[in-house]
Amino acid sequence: MFKQLFPGLLLGLTLAMPAFAGTAADDLQVIDPWAREVPPGLTTSAGFLGMKNTGDKEHKLVAAESANTGMIELHTHINDNGVMRMRPVKNIPVAPGGTTTLQPGGLHLMLMMIKKPLKAGEKMAITLVFEDGSKKDIEAEVRHFSMENMQH
Amino acid sequence: MKLFFRLFLALLVSTSSVYAWSLFSSSGEERYPGMGGDFTLQSAEGEISLKDLRGKVVLMYFGYTSCPDVCPTSLGALSTALKQLDSKEMQQIQPLFISVDPERDNGDKLQEYSRYFHPKMIGATSNLDYLQALASRYGAYFRKVEVENSSMGYAVDHSSTIFVVGKNGKLMDMIQHSDSPKRILEHIRMTLENRH
Repeated sequence: MFKQLFPGLLLGLTLAMPAFAGTAADDLQVIDPWAREVPPGLTTSAGFLGMKNTGDKEHKLVAAESANTGMIELHTHINDNGVMRMRPVKNIPVAPGGTTTLQPGGLHLMLMMIKKPLKAGEKMAITLVFEDGSKKDIEAEVRHFSMENMQH
Repeated sequence: MKLFFRLFLALLVSTSSVYAWSLFSSSGEERYPGMGGDFTLQSAEGEISLKDLRGKVVLMYFGYTSCPDVCPTSLGALSTALKQLDSKEMQQIQPLFISVDPERDNGDKLQEYSRYFHPKMIGATSNLDYLQALASRYGAYFRKVEVENSSMGYAVDHSSTIFVVGKNGKLMDMIQHSDSPKRILEHIRMTLENRH
């Protein structure tokens, strides 16, 4: 009985594997990554993107790195009756089948100690690091504030 | 004769009530009683006093330059709104960025930052006690907070409001964070044209 079942079980597992073995880097689709042009004299800015989870388990963004920054932190804003409180977050989860968007006024990548000023039209290479250890390289488009206000 | 008297009385009542109404709705009215008021700050070009800006609509925003998202978003939206004004309207406007982070923001840094958003925008600051008192008079809020698990050192929690001071030096309007450039423009024009 066991001998008959075992190969079948093994086969079933193998077939099922691709469905739930996807790493965060495989499952997450990055949507419209961009960073805000830095006003003169400043070395901090913010990066934004959407992450769509095409897999069937939750993934978490835990860090980001870029050769052009001394450090990137994951932050959010809490709008507390009109007072904006910026705070670091440990991770940014993306539910299976869901999309998490980092956008002005909310979640963002806080780009710190920027080495070369960000100029509109340029691309900034950023590596996203996920909880499962997988990584994803993205290119964020640098935008001037007049480009983002067009959407309103 | 009695009819004439009655008509005269009616006329008197109606004109005086129109006069009384005009007293309240003219520029003498306090839209925010007890709020706002004059102040003097330091900028790269020297002292700037609100009382020297009578005749101009002053658009004030409290923030700090190392604020990576909220301030650029608000100032960017303000700038986009200001670009819609014609030069005659713009002559009557003075945008003012008030840094609540004098520790990190000096005059030159503020000037460069403010001009990035608009060539006419003045960046100014003062000492913390003065800024705290000024902010509370306008109903703005800011507080320096140590942020754990961050190399930011500290952040400044702050309200994100554009305060509109009329040509008479009185606080006329408050534009909330997340208002679109279009809404900001409508607010500015209301004060410019005294339509409150």
